[in-house]
Amino acid sequence: MEPPNGSNTEAIVRIQRFNPDTDAKAHVQEFHVPRVQGTTLLDALHWIKHERDGSLTFRRSCRHAICGSCAMNVNGRNILVCKTPLEDQLDRKGRVTIRPLPYLPIIKDLVVDRSTFWKEYVRVKPWLVPPQTTPAKEFRLSPEEVAAVHNAETCIMCGACYSACQVVALNKAYIGPHALLKSFLRVLDPRDTIPGERLADVGTDEGVFRCHTIFNCIDACPKSLNPTQAIETLRKLAQKRAAFEAARVERQRTIADPIPVPAQSGSEGER
Amino acid sequence: MYRSTGFVSFVLRRFTGVALVLYLIAHIWVIGSVNGGPELFNARLATVQTPAFKLAEIALLAAVVYHAFDGIRLMIVHYFDVTEYRKSLFYAAFVVSALLTIAGGLPILLFALQG
Repeated sequence: MEPPNGSNTEAIVRIQRFNPDTDAKAHVQEFHVPRVQGTTLLDALHWIKHERDGSLTFRRSCRHAICGSCAMNVNGRNILVCKTPLEDQLDRKGRVTIRPLPYLPIIKDLVVDRSTFWKEYVRVKPWLVPPQTTPAKEFRLSPEEVAAVHNAETCIMCGACYSACQVVALNKAYIGPHALLKSFLRVLDPRDTIPGERLADVGTDEGVFRCHTIFNCIDACPKSLNPTQAIETLRKLAQKRAAFEAARVERQRTIADPIPVPAQSGSEGER
Repeated sequence: MYRSTGFVSFVLRRFTGVALVLYLIAHIWVIGSVNGGPELFNARLATVQTPAFKLAEIALLAAVVYHAFDGIRLMIVHYFDVTEYRKSLFYAAFVVSALLTIAGGLPILLFALQG
């Protein structure tokens, strides 16, 4: 039977439902939601929960695309529902389909079990390991060193990349793009003292060499980050680990020193 | 199932890779029979001269060409910072493979039709 269409005043929100206590397998349920300007997908889910079915279960928290709780699969793409307008996701028939993040066990409705996601995250030691003697005032990083890791710093750990990765789906031992991006952040941070250990941990066939360069992590990231490029960088560094480690030791000797200001050039410098 | 051009390229890469391994086994089966004498070799060679195998040769050409250009695409990604061109690179590899398959497949097809 042809599913019903939405209208100018109502959208049809199709949601994958699964209650482990009563359902043998997941099914899709449709809800008619008012089309109000400015409504996000999260607003639509809240409306359904408050007005139609209180048992609808989903994760959300900050509503500002910073907590990473509300990543879901919408029309086949992993996105944050809190920052995505409902109107942008409706097809010509006024419908949108929301499913839980793929390749992860479903706990209930749109909530997935992220245990493996966090397990792999902890595996790469995501914390900074600074030198034992810290500078009296501050670490001095050059603008280039900050720019190199800026991309990775803005990850919100939403899991969109992890659950979009087919390598994760096929091999649960794979560390995953989220954790490798974090490892990249720590490896390239001049303050970190264990880059060699980190590279040894991720430079394995469960780490950077397991990536099949499918690029889904880039396509899925709601913050437009580039885990694939981070993985490519780690691959190169893992192959010259000893030299990189030696360069880090050398760099940390001057990490409290002022950053040299580049000499002015051309006519500007002659003034 | 998370669909994307990257996923399509991954599936094609795996599929053509397995196909090439199977082809190599068949190839060794035929060529290796030369040790069994001319009669055995000719008999096995005759089994792969049928029209169906000619069509399979075109599929083999497509698999070889795509697998090669997909490999080149991946090497470009590995050695250069070009992830922002990921879709263009995939389409380029696919189109070049298709053109070469047509260019190489047509003579095979015409030869097969001539009997």
